[in-house]
Amino acid sequence: MFLINCPYCGERDQSEFTAGGEAHIVRPKQPTELSDNQWAEFLFMRKNIKGVQFERWNHTHGCRKWFNMVRDTSNDKIYAVYKMGEKPPIK
Amino acid sequence: MLNFNTPIIGTKEYSEIKISEIEPILKINLRGKNRNFITKIGKELSIITPVDPNTSSSNERLNLLWLSPDEWFLYSNDKIDLKDANLLEDKLFNEISKPKLGSVTNISDHWIMINLNGAKVFELLSAGCPFNFNNFKNSKGTVTQTLLNHIDVIIHNKNFNDLNLFVRRSFSAHLWSWLNDSARFI
Repeated sequence: MFLINCPYCGERDQSEFTAGGEAHIVRPKQPTELSDNQWAEFLFMRKNIKGVQFERWNHTHGCRKWFNMVRDTSNDKIYAVYKMGEKPPIK
Repeated sequence: MLNFNTPIIGTKEYSEIKISEIEPILKINLRGKNRNFITKIGKELSIITPVDPNTSSSNERLNLLWLSPDEWFLYSNDKIDLKDANLLEDKLFNEISKPKLGSVTNISDHWIMINLNGAKVFELLSAGCPFNFNNFKNSKGTVTQTLLNHIDVIIHNKNFNDLNLFVRRSFSAHLWSWLNDSARFI
C-alpha cells in the first residue's frame, strides 16, 4: 500500500487508483504501412522494468482522470506525478 | 415501467450516529470544460461554481459539488417533487446542452442520498474507507469521492458532523446494511 498524489484531487490511497501500463507510447502515424510485427510491437509489447518506470494511472474511484507517474517499481517510491500531455519533469 | 422506488426505507439511530435515507432529492450531473459553461451554470442556478478541487458551494435550495476539473454534481437541499426536477433539468438542458456548452444529465434515480449525523460519523466512515478525514472533517463544504466498504461514494461535508453520502442505487442496500452493522460496534 502507498499514497499517490493525484494532480487533481490531492493525496489519496493507492486502492482508489488503477494502473494503466507504460506511458508515452506514441501511436504510429501510418498504421497501414506497418508490418504485422511492427503493429504488434506497438499494440502489445510493454516494458516491465524493475526500477524507475514511466506509467499511466487513472484515479478510478475519485476524479476518474488519467495522469502520468514516474515510479520505482522495486520499492513503489514515486518520483513525479504529472498531467496527461505534460512533459516528464525528470528524465 | 422502471421501478424508481428506493431500496432503503427508514432512519436508524445508534450511539451518537443517526443514519437516514433522504429521497427523492434532485440530482443532476453537469459536464463541460470552457469558461462560458462555468459562467452559465452560476448564472442559471444563482450559485458560484466551485473550481477548486474537493470543494462545493451552496445556496438556500441547491448544492453544487466539484467532482473533477470538468464535472459537477448538483443536488437539492430538500426533498423535491420530481416534476420540479424535470423543470430544472429542462431549463439547464436548454441553456447548456442545446448551445453545446456542456452536458446536463438527470441522475436523480441513479444515486441515493444517505444523511449521516452525529459525533461519531467519522469513526464509522474510517472503519471502511481509505480516505484520510483529518482535514476534511474540519472544513465545512468539502467534498470527496472515495471508497467505502469497496463501494464508490461521494461524501459532502455539509456541516460539522453532518454529512450527505451518495451511493449508486444498485449498491445502496448493501452499503446501508454495512453502515448499520458497523455503527452498532462504534
